[in-house]
Amino acid sequence: MQALGPLILSWRSVLAPGIVALTAVVTMLVGSGLSEDESESVGWIALTGLVAAAIASLAASGDHIVTFGGSLIIDDYTAFFYLLIPVCSAVVVLFSFDYVAALGLPATEYYALLLFATTGMMLMAGAGDLIVMFLGLETMSISAYVMAAMAQRDPKSSEAGLKYFLLGAFSTGFLLYGIALLYGATGSIKLEAVAQMVRKHSIALSPFVLLGLGLILVGFGFKVAAAPFHVWTPDAYEGAPTSVTALMAVGIKLGAFAGFIRVLLIYLAPLHAQWSGVLWALAALSMTVGNLAALAQENIKRMLAYSAIAHAGYILVGMTAGRSEVGPALLYYLLGYAFANLGAFAVLVAVEQAQQSGTKLDDLSGLARNHPMLAAAMALFMLSLMGMPPLAGFVGKFYIFSVALESRYVWLVIIATLNSVVSAYYYARVIVAMYMREGAERQAQTRQPTLLFALAVAALATVIIGLLPHPYISASSAAYASAEQVLRPATAALQTK
Amino acid sequence: MLIDLIISAIKAIFVVLLVLNLSAVLLWFERKGSALIQDRIGANRAGLFGIGRRLGLPNLGIINTFIADPLKIFTKEDFVPDRADKFLYTLAPFLALFPVLISFAPIPFGDRLIVGSHQIELVVCPLTAGILYILAALGLGVYGAALGGWASNNRWALLGSVRASAQLISYELTMGLSIIAVVMVYGTLDLQEICRAQSGTWFGWLPKWGIVYQPLGFLLLLVAGIAESRRIPFDLPEGESELVAGYFTEYSGGKQAAFMLADFAEIVLVSALISTLFFGGWQVPYLQSDGFHLPGGTWLPLSNPVVALLGFVAFGIKVVFFCWLQILIRWTLPRFRYDQLMTLGWKGLLPLGLVNLMVTAVAIVAVGGSV
Amino acid sequence: MTTWFPVALMTAFAALVVGLMVTINAIVGPRSRDPVKGEAFECGNPPSGSAWRRFSVHFYLTAILFLVFDVEVVFLYPWAVTIRQLGATGLVEAGIFIVLMLAGLIYALRRGMLDWS
Repeated sequence: MQALGPLILSWRSVLAPGIVALTAVVTMLVGSGLSEDESESVGWIALTGLVAAAIASLAASGDHIVTFGGSLIIDDYTAFFYLLIPVCSAVVVLFSFDYVAALGLPATEYYALLLFATTGMMLMAGAGDLIVMFLGLETMSISAYVMAAMAQRDPKSSEAGLKYFLLGAFSTGFLLYGIALLYGATGSIKLEAVAQMVRKHSIALSPFVLLGLGLILVGFGFKVAAAPFHVWTPDAYEGAPTSVTALMAVGIKLGAFAGFIRVLLIYLAPLHAQWSGVLWALAALSMTVGNLAALAQENIKRMLAYSAIAHAGYILVGMTAGRSEVGPALLYYLLGYAFANLGAFAVLVAVEQAQQSGTKLDDLSGLARNHPMLAAAMALFMLSLMGMPPLAGFVGKFYIFSVALESRYVWLVIIATLNSVVSAYYYARVIVAMYMREGAERQAQTRQPTLLFALAVAALATVIIGLLPHPYISASSAAYASAEQVLRPATAALQTK
Repeated sequence: MLIDLIISAIKAIFVVLLVLNLSAVLLWFERKGSALIQDRIGANRAGLFGIGRRLGLPNLGIINTFIADPLKIFTKEDFVPDRADKFLYTLAPFLALFPVLISFAPIPFGDRLIVGSHQIELVVCPLTAGILYILAALGLGVYGAALGGWASNNRWALLGSVRASAQLISYELTMGLSIIAVVMVYGTLDLQEICRAQSGTWFGWLPKWGIVYQPLGFLLLLVAGIAESRRIPFDLPEGESELVAGYFTEYSGGKQAAFMLADFAEIVLVSALISTLFFGGWQVPYLQSDGFHLPGGTWLPLSNPVVALLGFVAFGIKVVFFCWLQILIRWTLPRFRYDQLMTLGWKGLLPLGLVNLMVTAVAIVAVGGSV
Repeated sequence: MTTWFPVALMTAFAALVVGLMVTINAIVGPRSRDPVKGEAFECGNPPSGSAWRRFSVHFYLTAILFLVFDVEVVFLYPWAVTIRQLGATGLVEAGIFIVLMLAGLIYALRRGMLDWS
């Protein structure tokens, strides 16, 4: 048994993703043995697994361990995402129950893929080398491609799946080439070794490193839907079933940013001078394109897609600053963004279900009269995404912009602020439609306890995280600090130079 | 240096010719063997200027198989159907036979032969990843069948070729799995080393052959191997009563001969693999490099060339035996139905192969190394 | 380099022999063409159109599954060679891998991969 010692130690570190993956396999096997109607109940298995994983994630916190030969890093940063990602997926599961049945999606595959995607996101957050990062990204993306195309009766869903798949596969190729070039230049795929090599000036500025860096930026840019790599986003978000869109807008962003932030801000920090210019442009473009295009959208899912692009831009503003003060701000922002978006999509799912309607802006007209609670919740989420105090969105934005300002990215902050003003228009349009326009009298029906619970979770989180930001900011700081501690002396030395 | 190159050239050419000739011998085996089994006479017409008859020898169809048929085949018209894809149509038989021939490279046909100061390993090329090389080359074989049927632009042929592709890839998995278990036992992918590891005896009399470790693996490889060579009971791709001749319906002449020889060469390859992995390859029971060590304790000294020759002959006998076994199976069993074939592959052999693998692995780890 | 020389030689020789075999008819064979002879053989009936059309998607599924499982089998080879060095740790990890593979197989079977009706 002595031989198994190291194995047991490292297994503690993959406990949370392991639970999710295992649940996925169980879901797949149990569900495929049941009839179509019965199989909808496998959602409860998925939910149990996600909750268990969220609890298990606490086992990863408070430590800094590098396991599996450097492939996985266990620290507070990992634990932060190990907790956040399953919770988000669990919320998605909660509002999927009746939706899956109503759309006639294959329930077994839906939940199994959702869990596999969650596993991938978590692996991205914990990855200590580029190959595991890539593996997580692929696990997450491929599951999402299939899920986007899952509503077989709807041609738009197939279109969404195909577009997402083709462009996603393309971008994955970029990322892989980037990884290959970095590996070629530094001789390692381990992030820590790459970082050490990159700190040597001669290697840092070799064309391979720079090209590799560029390709990695492109690859991640696709995944986080930053302009100009955003073209797949509106169609994919609009066509996919709404609950899947929620997963794409929240889970995939979380996973991709978790990896992106760790790779760029922590391990490739010595190259800040090289990548900050590119990120500056990406951020400015994403915000502008996202917000301007969102103005013209009549479909709320499409509008939220452009809004997601814009929010990726705000996060990139923070990343451009590249200082270690910005890390906690980014994590906090992601927290607020995740719950506001989850809530918004949950409302859309509820509206689609209750009214048997689509997700056009008109479909929300008069929602305040028919479903006052839904309308109130939607207004709350829109205000948070807009950045209204005292909600989570405001605190996050304020935090990021102030750090960027301290780092003297004045113009970028000006662009960001202007964009925030523009965005107020289209978020407000939703509220106007719900409260000030007359909609067709519609029968209020279907009370779904799970969906309401999901909505309540999202709404409470959005309010509490905004009103009482302190514990969340300190959690974010602790998480980021523990991820950063690997390289602190070296990074500090470089910054003073 | 030069002499080494010449020696390896001789070995390479020798093996290719050996396989091709053995395939032709098998063809004769099959014709006369099937006649024997079905109580017919079989090929007995062609003769050379009546010499055999005048000398009173029985006509065994040898002239038919080795002289008359090849002559006829290779002087036929080069026929290509009008609507076929001309290039792929010619490429397909090439891709069927060629990979099988080159996959013999790492299979040892004897122990070390010492000539003067030269130590000659009796293997074309002692590759350290020999098994992977064979699996890779064998995997190419599916292109021949798939392209042949497709390029012919004939419905029977296409159906035969998709059947062939599905069958070949399904049974390749089992093949790979059963070989993995053997690799575990010997801890190497080098076939010459695997052969060497099978020398000696247990209890002074039982040869240390692989089959003792891996009886189930042997059966799996045998079944999968027969399926890979598309023989009855796995001959659905070319089932005469259903698909005319399957993927080579439109072929004639040398191209058809290439497809046919590919089938026989695969039989030889499977037999050689089985002999090497499970029956000691060129090992002769009780024979060691300095002569026979019989169970009673008697020692019969022999010189190196004799030992090498005995090894070569032993390997040959084993290979021919398994070839014969496969031909015997062909003329004994009826054909599977297609769904039965797939069910056997995926529900029967594949899980069985995994179980065999796990049991072997657990046993090896539990014993803790030394076999 | 010298290790692979015999393989290269064997490849060349085999290619020569097989290449000759598939082309010799074009050189020595007679030639006579007519349209009926060039038709696809369908047991004497006039051919019913091109064979290059759709066929059962099941073959495609089989190919996809093969890809999945074959890659997994190939992954087991490195473990098989080093099984003694990896010991119990390797066994547990490979065991998990194999169990996952079996789960995939069971799923595929339950989803009707072998339903040829």
